[in-house]
Amino acid sequence: MKKQLIELRINGELCEVAAESQRTLLEVLREDLGLTGAKEACGTGECGACTVLVDGKPILSCLTLAIEAQGKEITTIEGLSKAGELHPLQKAFIQQGAIQCGYCTSGMILNAKSILDENPKPSREEILKGLEGNLCRCTGYNKILEAVMAASTGKD
Amino acid sequence: MRIPKFEYLRPLTMEDTCSLLYKYKTDAKILAGGTDLFVKMKKKQILPKVVISLNGIKQLDRIEWDEKKGLTIGPLVKHEALLNHPIIKGKFDLLTEACFKIGTRQVRNMGTLVGNLCNASPSSDAAAPLLALETKLKLVHLYGEKIVPLEEFFIGPFQTVLHPEEIVAEIRISKLPSNTTGSYQYIHKASSVGETLVGVAVLLTVDPKDSTCQEARIALSSVAPTPIRAKAAEKTLRGKRIDAKVSKEAAQVVSDEIQPRSRPWYRREMARVLVERAILQAMEKIG
Repeated sequence: MKKQLIELRINGELCEVAAESQRTLLEVLREDLGLTGAKEACGTGECGACTVLVDGKPILSCLTLAIEAQGKEITTIEGLSKAGELHPLQKAFIQQGAIQCGYCTSGMILNAKSILDENPKPSREEILKGLEGNLCRCTGYNKILEAVMAASTGKD
Repeated sequence: MRIPKFEYLRPLTMEDTCSLLYKYKTDAKILAGGTDLFVKMKKKQILPKVVISLNGIKQLDRIEWDEKKGLTIGPLVKHEALLNHPIIKGKFDLLTEACFKIGTRQVRNMGTLVGNLCNASPSSDAAAPLLALETKLKLVHLYGEKIVPLEEFFIGPFQTVLHPEEIVAEIRISKLPSNTTGSYQYIHKASSVGETLVGVAVLLTVDPKDSTCQEARIALSSVAPTPIRAKAAEKTLRGKRIDAKVSKEAAQVVSDEIQPRSRPWYRREMARVLVERAILQAMEKIG
């Protein structure tokens, strides 16, 4: 099982990594590229902590091979702020106190971003349904919901 | 949790895929979305030497609609794509309703409908509506192809008739007669992302003149070793005007003909409730 050269476009930048084919996108992001925003929790696709965006859609990086993510646009939490300015969702999470231990936050925010990109004014139910694959073991769901609602209405 | 090592192959044509499957047989597993495959590999339930990715064959990610041939869905079509497809929403909305229940937003963006069927979980949400729609699967291998009705595809929990050297190349759903509507109803285990405890798909064709039922199909998941049709109950509906009493009777027949393995009393009760609900829901859509 030789290492292969994998080219990934992450947050707009092209990165080259030599990795074996069984390595997941999550492992390569965290261990080879130092992008530790995406987290591993369950490792089996139940919790959403490893969520990143691929071509704008939320996927589980713990069940995606790095080699299969070639040629796609990958967005991690590190890529959300622009010129030192946090993304409105990141600001709303801070303002609303929607971060406790922080382990679910990057996945939560990226999935929320994809929800708002698809539908800028979702209902509470649509947000809850959209975020059902992101578990928060601090159980701070109300604050998270409020943060996404605040970001969707443009209020800080 | 790591995925054990394997050799990664990425053929660019269906023919090459079949050659590889023919060569490696049980040593190989097909990768489409990966949401079942990599979980099983991480848990070391399966340890294929070779993983054959379909993702290099872009034309497998296709949904086609033809007035004569009906609907064709390729093996790379993901649940999320089905949810957002106007033809499926318009003509096969019970499938849309079921896809909305599957997994989570992330899983729906990764997992494929064909992969869902090949995993052959008794509780597959997609299987019930697809059974009611009398879906057919095209299986291909290096030396030929065959068409298999979905009902014959499942042979046991997580078991199908698919041979190691075969692949599901597409699924086909025929055009429905006019005045046909359906509904998918379910209840799930502890949480909204939990496994489906009972899933019920109902498809009804009703005569617009006298509102008698011309055709009825009822299929269920999670109430038997495989997803199943409830044919005795279907018979009770055909030729009758569907009202609350007839729905109740059909639901009772379903409850008697299913074979739940665990929590049988509860599953029979819930099947009864959900079948009645699905019939009434479908009738409401006809208006």
